[in-house]
Amino acid sequence: MSFSEIWLFLQQGLLSGLVTGSVYALLAIAIVAIFKTTDVPNFAQGEIFMIAGYVALSLLLIAGWSYALVIPVTVVAVAVGAALFQRVVMERVTHSKGVGPQLVIATLGLAYALKGLVRQTGLGDTPRSLPSLVSNDPVIIGDAFLTRLDVAIFLTSIAAMVLIYLMFSHTRIGKAMRAVGMNPRAAQIVGIRLSRIRMLVWAMAGLISALAALLITPKILITPDIAHIAILAYAAAIVGGFTSLPGAVLGGLIIGIVENLVGLFISTNAIVVAPFLAILVTLIVRPQGILGGKPQVKKV
Amino acid sequence: MKTAKSLLVAAVAALSTLAAHAQSDPGLTDKTIKLGLFGPLSGNSMAYGFDVMNAAKMYYDKVNKEGGIHGRKIELVVEDDRCNANDLLAAVKKLTEQDKVFALNGGSCSAAVVGAREYVERSQIPLVMLNASGDGALYPPSKYIYGAFSISQRAVGGSMVQFAAEHLKAKKIGYINHDDAYGGWNLEAAEFQAKKLGVDLQVQSVAPNLTDVTAPMLKIRAANPDVLLITTYARPVSLLVKKAQELGWTKPIVIAVNGTADLKQLVENVGNKDAFKNVYLQEVMTDVAGGPKLKWVYDMYKAYYPELAAKPGYPQTYMPYGIPSAMTVVNALKAAGPQLTREKFLTALSQTKFESNVMAGPIELTPTDHAGQKSAIYLKFDGEKMAVVPGAYRSLWTYQPK
Repeated sequence: MSFSEIWLFLQQGLLSGLVTGSVYALLAIAIVAIFKTTDVPNFAQGEIFMIAGYVALSLLLIAGWSYALVIPVTVVAVAVGAALFQRVVMERVTHSKGVGPQLVIATLGLAYALKGLVRQTGLGDTPRSLPSLVSNDPVIIGDAFLTRLDVAIFLTSIAAMVLIYLMFSHTRIGKAMRAVGMNPRAAQIVGIRLSRIRMLVWAMAGLISALAALLITPKILITPDIAHIAILAYAAAIVGGFTSLPGAVLGGLIIGIVENLVGLFISTNAIVVAPFLAILVTLIVRPQGILGGKPQVKKV
Repeated sequence: MKTAKSLLVAAVAALSTLAAHAQSDPGLTDKTIKLGLFGPLSGNSMAYGFDVMNAAKMYYDKVNKEGGIHGRKIELVVEDDRCNANDLLAAVKKLTEQDKVFALNGGSCSAAVVGAREYVERSQIPLVMLNASGDGALYPPSKYIYGAFSISQRAVGGSMVQFAAEHLKAKKIGYINHDDAYGGWNLEAAEFQAKKLGVDLQVQSVAPNLTDVTAPMLKIRAANPDVLLITTYARPVSLLVKKAQELGWTKPIVIAVNGTADLKQLVENVGNKDAFKNVYLQEVMTDVAGGPKLKWVYDMYKAYYPELAAKPGYPQTYMPYGIPSAMTVVNALKAAGPQLTREKFLTALSQTKFESNVMAGPIELTPTDHAGQKSAIYLKFDGEKMAVVPGAYRSLWTYQPK
């Protein structure tokens, strides 16, 4: 491999990794937010992302709506759907003295239900693409090629992350969510309604998933099995720190870049293994994740 | 006296064994041969086999109308396997043990049909696959199993390399396959063919669920091959063709039959017809679907299933694949003669050679190679129209016992 090739691969791996990594980061934020406020790893995260893609696809191609309508309707529909799942299913399981495993199984149930739903429509038989709002014209940065769509994905994801940060740090609801994440019982004592906040967190996760789906599906295509992308988001959350929202962002970007660099410098066969290796290394070297703070010790 | 008595007993025993053997094969009467036909009649994978089974049924019906085989009519028992390994095994068991069929003709999905290999061998019942490529069940060869009447995965790779070297005059070939069993099989024959032809093969293997194809495509571009062969499934094909165009790739791209089931969707997914300026498609039939060489198959379908043929989406893409499989069964039954046994049928299968006028090459089975079809034709595809490239390109790989 010549020096110019190494230099090209480095630039391309870094830039392409940032694009896909920014979407992994969004999904990782959704996972971490739900985990922090409900103590439940949401195993339906990928399917919520997937169903958002199919909702948008149905509205665009079957109903013939314009993007101006499709985007808000998809985002709201998925957010409401996720909130209802928390209110109707998760809340009831919790009230009936449901423990962690039962809540996790409930999210698995949602995952299978959503996948089955899409397969029933017949839309899931072939890979499909959402029409792209931004052109695929090349954008050359250094020696690397991106497309305008890539740049739009990255910038929109970053803008969404900034908005999420502002919500958590400057709004009452955001602060209430953080309080529930830190100490639910104390938050309840000061008058925060846990069920309402948890419902809002699920709604936010749905909203973020819908946004991620609208951004990335014109690039990676959509099938009922595309939900596996959540595994990469989980890897991002673990690498960044499962209890840290900035960690989720960092983890997402790292996973995106690692995937590309491994594919370019080691082997394309190893791309899918790279996130799991990153998880293993993180768990061995820093189990709480890069920005996961100090290891927690629970007194019993 | 004692010796004569013993001889008599032995002769009676031998005769009764022979008589019992002659009548022992199930599914046979003087008037009928019972066959078990199975494939996906429902479920997500119905498109792979529903009309393939219809094609086989109409061919058997035609044979029956023409007088049958040595005076016997073919009687079909039909089962739905949903392209699912468990359902397929259940269907095979039912057909073998409950319906007591003479032979099995079925399987449209390789992964599912491979799972029945052990049972078929244990039950010693002949299985002639429908349109599954089924390399996993065909190599190493089993006495009882024949298939790949569309094309084997190995032949997919070998034929593509032949086309790239012979028609496109490529000396260096880029090759992207999957890193699963299917990818391994087609690569094995591609490497064999490349070695025979003296061309350089630059391989990138990717996972079927890969979301970002930048790395493999960039590495292929860096290797600077004369042509790119893609043997992946439909989704990675779309991503790779799109990425190739983004990276300014203008050399020929050849897409294997694995990824071309829905061309309209492929073009939509790529999103730019310019990406198809130099694209070729592999086709395992002798002509494009509905083309003049295949008109007789489509006319026959319309005559047998007028209501179905009038529906949008019918006949399904793979419909003609059912004919060569049924032809193979019929030819072997004829060759086995009027004193039909499973052994004679299996021997006849292993000596099969005929032109189906459906597939790109002849159907040829031997005692050591049970994959029926090894050739493909190629179509120049501009994103809308297709033009047949003259000639068929054959894979040279053959199974070598280790």
